[in-house]
Amino acid sequence: MIYVLYFIVFVICVYTARHYWFTLNRLFGFQRHPYIDIDTASWPLVTVLVAAHNEEKVISNILSALMTVKYPEGRMLVIPVNDRSTDGTRAIIDDFVERFPGRIQPFHRAGGKGGKAAALKDAMELVTTEVILIFDADYIPGAGLIKQLVAPFFDPEVGGVMGRVVPLNVGTNLLTRLLDLERTGGYQVDQQARMNLRLVPQHGGTVAGVRLSALREIGGWNDQSLTEDTDLTYRLLLHGWKTVYQNRSECYEEVPETWAVRIKQIMRWAKGHNQAMVTYGLRLLLGKHRATLRERIDGVLLLGVYAMAPVTLLGWALALAVFFRGVAPLHGVIALFSLTAYAALGNLAAFFEIAAAARLDGTRRRISLLPFLILGFAVSIFSVSRAALSQVSDLVTGAELHWDKTERFRKVL
Amino acid sequence: MAALILFVSLMLMLPLVPAFVELRRKSDASPLNVVQQHAGEIRHFANSFRTYIQILEPTLRQCVASGATASGMLNDGVEYLALGRCDDSQTFPIVQPGATCSVTIAAGSDLIVPRKITFLRDVYAGGQFSGGDNNSYRAILGEKDIHLGRSSRVTRWVHAVGEFSAEHDCELSGRISSDSRIRLQGACNFLRLNAPQIDTGHVMPGEDSTRPNSEDDTNAGSGVVQRFLYDGDFEVHAGEVVTGNIVARGKLHIGAGARICGSVKSVSDMVLGTGVSLQGSLISGKKMLIGPDCAVNGPIIAERALRISAGTRCGSLQHPTTVSAPRIEVEDGVTVFGTLWAREHGEVVAN
Repeated sequence: MIYVLYFIVFVICVYTARHYWFTLNRLFGFQRHPYIDIDTASWPLVTVLVAAHNEEKVISNILSALMTVKYPEGRMLVIPVNDRSTDGTRAIIDDFVERFPGRIQPFHRAGGKGGKAAALKDAMELVTTEVILIFDADYIPGAGLIKQLVAPFFDPEVGGVMGRVVPLNVGTNLLTRLLDLERTGGYQVDQQARMNLRLVPQHGGTVAGVRLSALREIGGWNDQSLTEDTDLTYRLLLHGWKTVYQNRSECYEEVPETWAVRIKQIMRWAKGHNQAMVTYGLRLLLGKHRATLRERIDGVLLLGVYAMAPVTLLGWALALAVFFRGVAPLHGVIALFSLTAYAALGNLAAFFEIAAAARLDGTRRRISLLPFLILGFAVSIFSVSRAALSQVSDLVTGAELHWDKTERFRKVL
Repeated sequence: MAALILFVSLMLMLPLVPAFVELRRKSDASPLNVVQQHAGEIRHFANSFRTYIQILEPTLRQCVASGATASGMLNDGVEYLALGRCDDSQTFPIVQPGATCSVTIAAGSDLIVPRKITFLRDVYAGGQFSGGDNNSYRAILGEKDIHLGRSSRVTRWVHAVGEFSAEHDCELSGRISSDSRIRLQGACNFLRLNAPQIDTGHVMPGEDSTRPNSEDDTNAGSGVVQRFLYDGDFEVHAGEVVTGNIVARGKLHIGAGARICGSVKSVSDMVLGTGVSLQGSLISGKKMLIGPDCAVNGPIIAERALRISAGTRCGSLQHPTTVSAPRIEVEDGVTVFGTLWAREHGEVVAN
């Protein structure tokens, strides 16, 4: 028992050190934004895929925004991927097709396997351009975003691109404010630090791009995966392609406004991430491929992020058990240290990261909400652990993973 | 006991007070400000300034017709001086060297300003603009050509509808753009330049700027070509022809006269020999040296530093491109079509 606890404490310490390393890099290190200055070029043809499943509340916002972006005329085609919608999504898309002839080509999918990856996979029959951008329907791209996301593809090593997600409905309630802080830390610090340190920036599957030849080389979209973005990140990496992060390519999104929707969302992410961990973890760490040593280590740590929730819970239980059973005086001390490490160092690292991110964004007053993040972390740790348990039970019973769409809260226009 | 519990509870709640206050007041609850409406165009400030001084148009017309000078205040209380005729430095209202001009200057036609003047406000010229040596400008908008004398300094931006040229030793901070051409003489410092054509030093006699580079017909990043991936250092031999994209995880050397039909990336340093021709983009994770007489069609990015040797052409009139690095040294006789952007320091250096 005690040795399992030792191991868990060690892993927690590794993640804590990682949080501090990333944060200090963002505050004091060399910042990499190599492609952001490309403002003049012979811009390539680009296809923008907009994944939409029952998105009548939001689809017109993104299509309107895409029709006003600054990209050379005739070089961008928008394909709304209407995945088996039963609401007014189809009618809204068709209306846009009529209003903007030649600029939008709809892909209406009436049947087939559920899930975003499956829909994107089917929509690929319409894609002929080397550069593909992907947006979820609740996003609102700004005028310069398309060029910014296309620019990294001038680098022949780049297979995937990820932009920064910025919550739009921040002020709605406590949850949206906490999610805003989490996103700030995740993008402003985590993703950019990975970019700076040439580690593994994660493809997020929206406000993102992929190179067609790279996608073909890795076998296309994986419709078995619950998180096609994580899956894509690791398959690109294993095939020698880089995913790059563009912190200044920002795009508004809508975050969940109710805890039920948030829990559902994070459980899906956790299951998909764990699925990728099982599929690619060992191969990435020990396999024969072109990832560097630092990419292998960071990639594995990134894959383990959601597995840390049940591991932490187990660590708490073990620490308390060791302490109260009084296995040995020294062990009792270690148990106390373990608890202190979780409560202080571990949490402080994440809090430090988020506070630093808010400071970098110049939004200092929202930092005072940091204590409430304990609530968000508590909900996440139990939801993610529950997801892991249900995944194990699904594995035993042979139940199929199923994809849940995130509910939208915007008013229908 | 109850009092103690209450006291401890209050003490525990104390750190949460700012959080509750912020949650209730929502003083910092708006979304992060993401620029939605413009795409960081270099001409953004020039366009805004043109709109800002549009109100002076009738005044300027009158001044030009009468050859008189008018002064007053713009809508935001900023003082202006409208000049009807100033095509001689002696006719400029301030002629004393070392003087400071603290009003917005707007000239309806050509504007010639004397030397050693510091302009604290923006300058508008409806015709040609010619500045004397050692002047300091905040911003200039010229409807025709703009010429800056030796050792002039710009702190924010310049936009010329015609050609922009700067004599030796100018310090051009901020954004410099032209709808026609930019010419910089030796020892000029720069940050961000944009024009259909940017020349450093003297253009070689007989140089045809409209001549396209040899493989102008392809866009970098748009074609599907084979990728060659090398885990260590790599060399393309002199005169070799490679069709495909090259990615080297170490240093990369491209020998003289080599021709690459594709893009090239080196995670470390990169050196191009004399006369290398490249159809796609050129990316280096560290430092890059481009030798003399090279032709590169696509974007050129160096993450640390870049030096471009004489006779090299980046992009073409038909396919403008971007050249960017934190520190850039450009020798005399280089032509860039599009954007030349040094994040920290750019300089025109002698061959």
